[in-house]
Amino acid sequence: MKKIDFHIHTVKSISDKLFEFNIDSLKEYVDKLEIDCIAITNHNLFDKNQYLEICQNLHIKVFPGIEIDLEGGHLLLISENEDIEDFDSKCNRVKGLIQTKDDSITYEQLIEIFPLLSKYLLIPHYDKFPIIKEVTLKKLGNHIFVGEVTSLRKFKACIKDAEKLVPVIFSDSRFTDNMATYSTRQTFVNAVENTLRAIKGCLYDKAKVSLSKNEGNEFFQATDDGIILSTGLNVIIGERSTGKTYTLDKISNNFENVKYIKQFSLLQNDEENFKKLVTTRHSLVTETYLKEFKEVVLDVNQVDLKENEIALEKFLDSLKKYASESDKLDAYSKCKLYNETNFVIDDLDNIKKLIKATETLIENTEYKTIVDKHISNDSLKALIIDLIKKYNELSEANLKKHWLNEQINNIKDSLRFRSTTTAIEEVDFNKIQIEKLKAAKFKRLVKRLQHEKEIDSKEIRGFKVVARTKKYTGASQLKAKSKSQFAFSNAFENYNEPYKFLISLQNVGIEEVDFYKYFIDIEYKTLNKHGFKVSGGERSEFNLLHEINDALKHDLLLIDEPESSFDNIFLKNDVNVLIKEISMQIPVIVVTHNNTIGASIKPDYIAYTQKNINDGKIIYKVFFGHPTSKQLRNVNGETIENLNILFNCLEAGEEAYYERKTRAYEILKD
Amino acid sequence: MNVKQEHMKYLKIENNKGFFLKDKANPTEWTEIDQLGKNELLKLLDYAIEDEFEMDTYDEVIIQHKAHQIIYKHLFEKFSTFLLNKNRFKDESELIYKEALEKYQ
Repeated sequence: MKKIDFHIHTVKSISDKLFEFNIDSLKEYVDKLEIDCIAITNHNLFDKNQYLEICQNLHIKVFPGIEIDLEGGHLLLISENEDIEDFDSKCNRVKGLIQTKDDSITYEQLIEIFPLLSKYLLIPHYDKFPIIKEVTLKKLGNHIFVGEVTSLRKFKACIKDAEKLVPVIFSDSRFTDNMATYSTRQTFVNAVENTLRAIKGCLYDKAKVSLSKNEGNEFFQATDDGIILSTGLNVIIGERSTGKTYTLDKISNNFENVKYIKQFSLLQNDEENFKKLVTTRHSLVTETYLKEFKEVVLDVNQVDLKENEIALEKFLDSLKKYASESDKLDAYSKCKLYNETNFVIDDLDNIKKLIKATETLIENTEYKTIVDKHISNDSLKALIIDLIKKYNELSEANLKKHWLNEQINNIKDSLRFRSTTTAIEEVDFNKIQIEKLKAAKFKRLVKRLQHEKEIDSKEIRGFKVVARTKKYTGASQLKAKSKSQFAFSNAFENYNEPYKFLISLQNVGIEEVDFYKYFIDIEYKTLNKHGFKVSGGERSEFNLLHEINDALKHDLLLIDEPESSFDNIFLKNDVNVLIKEISMQIPVIVVTHNNTIGASIKPDYIAYTQKNINDGKIIYKVFFGHPTSKQLRNVNGETIENLNILFNCLEAGEEAYYERKTRAYEILKD
Repeated sequence: MNVKQEHMKYLKIENNKGFFLKDKANPTEWTEIDQLGKNELLKLLDYAIEDEFEMDTYDEVIIQHKAHQIIYKHLFEKFSTFLLNKNRFKDESELIYKEALEKYQ
């Protein structure tokens, strides 16, 4: 069995963040993780000298490789460690083709550079971003039989699915100095030799790859100091301050896409905070509900009715004044263009929509038979041609009007500059009426919106979250909404007159894009299964269920002492079942002191943390094994009695257990 | 939505002068055009949308009052352009906030 990591970066390329390679870290990594062979795979380049230096420094087999940007995805190409000169020159050609981080080479270019692909091991990003596209995989044909994935879950999914490639999981690490932890993402291959041919031979067969050395895919290495855990449900127990949370933190840092529910994070004593949390979680509901309203508010905010009235007044005044001066007109003001009005530019939006709609009717294939039944394709084509003709005609007219307006205005300006007669001010009747209508419709809209009602309801494992619209009842609520010190009292006086209220919001100091939030509030209520408002304890329970529900979007679930927030009945009835269900999909690791969880959840594996003081030095140990094993074992082969641990950690000691069992439980039973 | 509109004359020429109708509830009460104020003009604009708004065509031979000539001419032109685009105005106004109004029923 060989432990391999064929995805390692040692040179910063244009696709990387800045890092400086450290050979000692790489050495420590292969030693600590007991790796048998690695491949150096930098982005689109191969550094021959550095590669040779690495080979000299490591006592394991190091394969030369390259990670190529191929048709938008990434491909690992690994060679045997011979004919390095040839490999180097080929990689240099790839390097020459990739100038920016967005470049990639084509399949044809790849074949031209590496004509004999069968000589290499090709590993595409398979369930890993950026993936090699299906079409590219097809072109690569038989050369592809193995694919890289990012998580244990994806690895297991590939193993189970006959249609999928053989999965491999690698560290994809960059080795710098002072690394706190090392990745535990490597793959075991059932090869006898460390040759590319032997390893490649195994990678054709799903039975010959695994996540653990001896126990197949049911186990994985959780930390770089050798802790092995199950890919199902694990429970970590141990007395206080023995490193349980430390271990969990370490695992969390080692893997990507981890859901980590920290100790006490679910406690919900404060009702207001809980309300805020639920509101934040459901912010998408609020946003979706108010989306259209937000757009309207932004539009109405551009409407200035007062300004329109002033424009109308100026027009009338100037018109009357000009009329009164009619017998004193000078040479300039007598010109017809002196008070000429601009041509109205036609708005072509409607005809554009009509063309688009006709286009949809012509192009739609899904409902073609229905459309054909009523309108022939020829009629539609004739219609679209007429519409386009009309559009062109109107566009042309608009262009002319634009040009003419420009000329008229130039002449008008020159005449007015020289004349002493009053000029008639411009006014746009259409704009005035449209805006007046907008304000009226806005009023109607706000009244509808402010009609309080339930807008959303979601069931979450026995709980129900109901969203209701609610009118604001005071300026202080608006202030709370704004999370600022702005004064809302003047604005709130106009709350029942939507347009006026909007105008007064302009003077408060809040952002224009947030105005819509102050017309209606959306309140979330969490109800228990009886339809009543949740209690303090129920709030925590709801939180846990919500968090755990969310876990399946992740690749690993870590829970630190769920009992810190709940009572046993809830843990036994709801949480245990849920955690069990989730562990069928992704690895779950629960740290607990609680016997309800620790024992009755029936974990697949347990780990026990212990703190020892030896010669004044603190030593942390982690023992692990099957719950039914008599003994648990640590990485150094030391053992510990399983039963003692269960008594000490979960039952306050053996004596207490029997005492409770015989005295309390048995008596109760009788 | 097609609501039947009333035919009504709002600008007229009589006795060499221009007149406007202040209130359609009093169709016989005409006011001289130079007395037109901001609020009356706003009202006329509303009538222009609500009704089949009719006007006597401007004719500088008939209107002999110089000031009336100028005011009437400008208003006639303005209203003519506005009425010419009335269909578009209606289409446009139908669509204003339609989606939002339907959503928040």
